[in-house]
Amino acid sequence: MSRVSRRHFLKMSAALGAGLGFSRSLPAFARNVRLQDTELLMWWWGEQELPGLQQFVDDSIAAYTDARIEAVLQDTSVVISQFQTASAANEAPDIQYLWNGIYHMESVWFGYLEPLNGLVDQTVLDVSTPTLLSNYGGNVYRVGWYPLPMVWYYNKELYDQAGLDADNPPKTWDEFLDACDKLKGAGIAPVGGGIQDGFWGEWYLGHGLVQNLDSVGEALDLFIGERDFREPKYHEFWTKLEELVSLGFINEEMSSLELYPGIDLVVTGQLAMGESIGSRVPADNAALNGNLGVMVMPVYGTGALAGKPILDVQGLGISSQSDNKEAAAAFLEFLHSPDRLTAFWETTQWMPSNTGWDASVIEDPVVKFMWDNWNLGENIPYISNLVPGQFYTDALLPNAQEIIAGNRTGEEAGEVAAQVVEDWRAFNPDLLENYQTWGEDLR
Amino acid sequence: MIRTRNPIVPYLFVTPLIALLVFIFGYPLVKIFDFSFRRIRGITGPWVGRENYDLILDHPLFREAVNHNLQLLIAVPILIFLSLLIAVVLFDQVKGWRIYRTILFIPYILAVPIVAVVLKNFLQFNGPFNETLRSVELDALAVDWIGSPDYALWTVMGVIIWRELGFGIILMLSRLLSLDQETLEAAELDGAGWWQRFFYVILPQMTGVIEFYFVVSLITMIAAVFSYIYMIGRGGPGTSTMVLELYIYNFITRNSLPGIASAVSVMLFLVTTVLILILFWLRRGAREREVG
Amino acid sequence: MSTIRKRFTMGTAARHTLLLFFTLLALGPSFFMIMTSVKTKDEYVFDKIGLPDKIVLQNFEDALVDNDFLLWMRNSTILAVGSVVLSTAVASLAAFAIARMQFFGRDLLLSISTSLMIIPPVVMIVPLFVLYTRLELISTFHGVILIYAGLITPFSVYLLVSFFRTLPGEILEAALIDGATSLGVLWRVVLPMSLPALLTLFVVNALYVWNDLLIALIFLQSDDSRTLMAGISVFQGRYNNQIPLTMAGMLMASLPMLILYILFQRYFIRGLVAGALKG
Repeated sequence: MSRVSRRHFLKMSAALGAGLGFSRSLPAFARNVRLQDTELLMWWWGEQELPGLQQFVDDSIAAYTDARIEAVLQDTSVVISQFQTASAANEAPDIQYLWNGIYHMESVWFGYLEPLNGLVDQTVLDVSTPTLLSNYGGNVYRVGWYPLPMVWYYNKELYDQAGLDADNPPKTWDEFLDACDKLKGAGIAPVGGGIQDGFWGEWYLGHGLVQNLDSVGEALDLFIGERDFREPKYHEFWTKLEELVSLGFINEEMSSLELYPGIDLVVTGQLAMGESIGSRVPADNAALNGNLGVMVMPVYGTGALAGKPILDVQGLGISSQSDNKEAAAAFLEFLHSPDRLTAFWETTQWMPSNTGWDASVIEDPVVKFMWDNWNLGENIPYISNLVPGQFYTDALLPNAQEIIAGNRTGEEAGEVAAQVVEDWRAFNPDLLENYQTWGEDLR
Repeated sequence: MIRTRNPIVPYLFVTPLIALLVFIFGYPLVKIFDFSFRRIRGITGPWVGRENYDLILDHPLFREAVNHNLQLLIAVPILIFLSLLIAVVLFDQVKGWRIYRTILFIPYILAVPIVAVVLKNFLQFNGPFNETLRSVELDALAVDWIGSPDYALWTVMGVIIWRELGFGIILMLSRLLSLDQETLEAAELDGAGWWQRFFYVILPQMTGVIEFYFVVSLITMIAAVFSYIYMIGRGGPGTSTMVLELYIYNFITRNSLPGIASAVSVMLFLVTTVLILILFWLRRGAREREVG
Repeated sequence: MSTIRKRFTMGTAARHTLLLFFTLLALGPSFFMIMTSVKTKDEYVFDKIGLPDKIVLQNFEDALVDNDFLLWMRNSTILAVGSVVLSTAVASLAAFAIARMQFFGRDLLLSISTSLMIIPPVVMIVPLFVLYTRLELISTFHGVILIYAGLITPFSVYLLVSFFRTLPGEILEAALIDGATSLGVLWRVVLPMSLPALLTLFVVNALYVWNDLLIALIFLQSDDSRTLMAGISVFQGRYNNQIPLTMAGMLMASLPMLILYILFQRYFIRGLVAGALKG
């Protein structure tokens, strides 16, 4: 369980140095001179959230004959900054690990990343589902590596206790409120988790804001200034959260618990429903003896994106400074060969991001259910990955915390969000154009 | 005084100091002024005049951060009062005062991040502190200390006082122990009561140390609470514990606008400098009046 | 002296109650930390305040095995020792000249150095960070030692100047007449006589560096260079659902300074109040 929690450490600390693209702090190992054409340098990350990945990378390099690859595992807090500083010094690795959305878009804007369409086999690119957030200016910049489905948990035992149908979790908001009511009546805390460290609010925006959007680009419009958080449909997800608070459906200790202890409440039977992340499912379902359920956030919204599973994907990209782009592309293709996909599952016990993968090896029905619906089914990207840093710290996290504490209404949250967006635009006039261009890709 | 044969020698002795101070203090203090007028991306950026200052002064979050730092100043008189009170009681040679002193100083020995992590768990809504309150039927007092935006800043302040008080006690006690005993004895022989002795004999001799502690605490509350804030709630819940240092930190890191961070640094620098000058001036005024 | 302290208006009982209250307050959280650290996760869920049923040391093992506590402590030690040694060397040289020699700008230098003590470190961070990224000094020990040394040096100078001024001049002059150089006098006469002051300096400055979080977070970004304080921040985020394990980690993290405090209490106290009482 501890493995995924690092993801949240990184979300905060990844920012350290992000955007310091022109600086040149470069560890010694980056200065290795490439010996020959078939020598590739790869900087990667992920062992921290997916133990076994190191083994997979080592095995894959050993099994690969077309090039010699040197793989260096990066520290969590420098994944972004290290690549940017190396690029500024013209000493970038050939292959770089990339988080989704804004976390790699800055490198795209600086011109540090090579478009992969036309470089990597188009079929591989497509089946690896790098998600829409890897597109900029009509190009794709990442090959997907492994998926992170964004899910809601529910505890089937508690559903049974409250007389609810554990095989059919609520789909609409009304059904959801009804379920919460029954759970509460049975003395069970219906929904929530932990928000003291704020990250719950990030996930919540990812699940909620999309419900009234017709395209992902519409979310960017909110930051460019084309649309406004004050408009009810753009802060309705916060209004809905306020509704849950006022109805007393939120677990009482949510404000003082952190994200992962909050998810544990569902796993230990103290809370019926809550947000979680797919990579926790294998362990949590085992802990619950198969009584864990995953669902999509119940629908109140009317946008085209409402009710669709959300899929985030970690990926790999190729430096624009690489002398061996084709060789690098070939290695990324190799990682998606059937043999490698099998090896990925065997070493990490987690799914690779490849829709052509033979998923029959999955035994856990809940993991299988996730694979079928989140990975293979029609999914949407995780839009919290496109919000600007300032919005993240000043509006996204605080709004959810204030609402859960009963101190803010959804409408007030919309007001704060709109104000923060205006501040962000005033502080960052030089970034606006990039966001506008990006918006075109996301429509 | 040592007379060196070569007049250059003293300068050789102080050169490393000057070099170090210029590098760590001099260069940054000049550079923040330059940076504060630029929109820095990476290591440099275009000159934007006073735009950064305008943006900050208009920024609601900045004003909130300033407010929170000001609210934390309430801790200053509390710290002075409590440390003086406890020190005086200890000074009365309570049996075992050395043991008390050793124990009361322990919180200050624990590092802030450790204190923050321990107390954060201690004060969790269903944590030990509230469980204890509930077990003695004080449910109304068992509020959400760290989770509620209404209480979080006061909780942080409590944590700060809890740790920093140890220093105050030691400080005051050391001063008391160095007081001139004869004056005290003379006062007692004159029949002065305990309170009289405290106000007319002890307190006047303590002004120096109180002033010192006042300045130290003041600067702590304005510009040295980052570790507490970062470890307890990183400015949250909401923005209820956002303070200037975290504001600067966010603009260096996540928001990557060092120019903005520099402008805030300039203001912080000026404010602390002005504060110190005022105190200095007040102190000198007081001294002159005493003499005159 | 004892006669003075015998008569009070505040009753003995009241004074003891007051002290007992603050003592309990000071010890409470540490008591909670220690008690919780030897409970199992399950026991903590049911019993958050009581004494542990039986003492379990598993938490300590887990905290040690899966984490880099020893590495973090090593890093913090390198930084603390490195910066204190550097600062003491620089400050001893300068303080000797300031206290014992006559030269132009001496008083100005001392007042500038002393007044730097009040500048909050956060003010200097942005330019240093930008400079360090350009000079490739981020995540290097020598770079960060330089920063810490710089920040603690004004205090070192201040303390050493005060102390050097109290040394008897005859001894120094005698040494000079014997043909020693100024540096020789400082090294062979002044510093040996100043051991208490140096020890005090060591304790106070090491405590400052050891406890710092802000500079450690910004300037030491790689896992290998992480300090104990930054490590605690990572550690607590990782185990926030296992409070007994967290407390075991916190207890281990607090031990080095607690042990030093118990061994060198005198120097801790003397050092921390030195700035105030001389001023």
